[in-house]
Amino acid sequence: MASKATPRPLPGQHQLSREFIAQHQRARIVSALALEVSEKGYRGVTVADIVKRAGIARNTFYENFGSKEDCFLAAQQFAMSTALSRVVEAAGEIDDWPHQVEAGLAAFLRYVAEEPALARTCMVDALAAAPASVRYYEESMQAFVSLFRLGRDVSPHGQELPDTLEEALIGGVFWILYQRLMVDEPEAIGELLPEVLEFALTPYLGAVAARAIASEADGVSPRHDRA
Amino acid sequence: MSDPVNPSVDSPEYPPELARLPPGRHGLPREFVARNQRERLIAGLAGAVAENGYAGTTIAHITRHAAVSRRTFYEHFNSKDECFVAAYDTVMTELRQRVDEAFNEEEEWPQAVRAGLAAMLEFLTAEPHLARLSMVEALVAGPVVVERYDGAIQGLVPYFEAGRKGRSAEVLAGLSPSTEEALVGGMVSLISRRIFAERAEELESLLPDLVEFALTPYLGSAEAAKVARAG
Repeated sequence: MASKATPRPLPGQHQLSREFIAQHQRARIVSALALEVSEKGYRGVTVADIVKRAGIARNTFYENFGSKEDCFLAAQQFAMSTALSRVVEAAGEIDDWPHQVEAGLAAFLRYVAEEPALARTCMVDALAAAPASVRYYEESMQAFVSLFRLGRDVSPHGQELPDTLEEALIGGVFWILYQRLMVDEPEAIGELLPEVLEFALTPYLGAVAARAIASEADGVSPRHDRA
Repeated sequence: MSDPVNPSVDSPEYPPELARLPPGRHGLPREFVARNQRERLIAGLAGAVAENGYAGTTIAHITRHAAVSRRTFYEHFNSKDECFVAAYDTVMTELRQRVDEAFNEEEEWPQAVRAGLAAMLEFLTAEPHLARLSMVEALVAGPVVVERYDGAIQGLVPYFEAGRKGRSAEVLAGLSPSTEEALVGGMVSLISRRIFAERAEELESLLPDLVEFALTPYLGSAEAAKVARAG
């Protein structure tokens, strides 16, 4: 990466390897794109906006990405694969499905709180982006679907649940998070865990059992006891 | 709909706002012509966007589809965005009205939900251009429209909130404040992803799944499935 093409070299940049700088630049460009998209919408953002926000030269952008579409897809792949691997890692440590969902959703919410702009990009804006992004959105949706689908094995009526249930649940969770990201501080996202957990578990376990697990996640004793 | 010129609501295949005035001399009052031009522009935008996508649509495309002059366009709208917002609002008003009518015709809430959802899917299936405009292009058209899109979706929440009425304490304890929002978001996601993927022909077959999904938190899975599979 030609350092003279970069108008704002990072302190100590000369001591870093070319590879490190390249990686860092990509990450910086990707987060600049996410911030721009969350402010202006996908179509409203230009490469010039991204370049300006990232504080890099236009050339540097094109050394890393072929186009805005390309950059968006990279952002999406980066965010989705990070989120998914955190979810799988968190859920993998646990044996029973409802608590796997709890751990997985908690990990997902933590990621959303850490990277609100990128998360928003993946959950909503991706559908408005280029066809490759829409395809990637559908693929990552399927990965989440298969995690939820395991719940059919523990559900008393798992065989009869509608085919599209998991897609609808994930769509619902994404929508809630997207709505909250617009009005709340990202740190408040974690507080949604009991609500989204209950929403996700209810179709499989019934409202009462779902409520009991969700209340524990909250640290609150199950409210259905008093009913 | 507040349009006194085209008050008919039950029959037309196409939303009255979007109907075209036949070309030629008609001796109609100026105000009617103006109103009609606006509607033609809105229909023109829907057609142009269906053909070219929102980003690829120019004002020339819109005026060609509407068969009006560029000058007429600027008498009604300052920009493509403004025309899009008008089109979006028109489509959503129409959709809401159909859902409302279907919903209100039923006595019981579970059946009302079913009827409302059926009306929505029917409209989106019958009007693929408008379905695309309202569910796909709206997301792309910039923050002003996205805000309206969000508002329109949140506007569906009360239909489901009505289901809380008369439920047992146990059921109510199991509903969180965001249950309805999550239900609506999930349903819209199912619908719009099919429109994005140009699989709009699958929409009507989604009805039982959507009904069961929407009713389960209130009625439980077994009862929800029963309503979903009835009819």
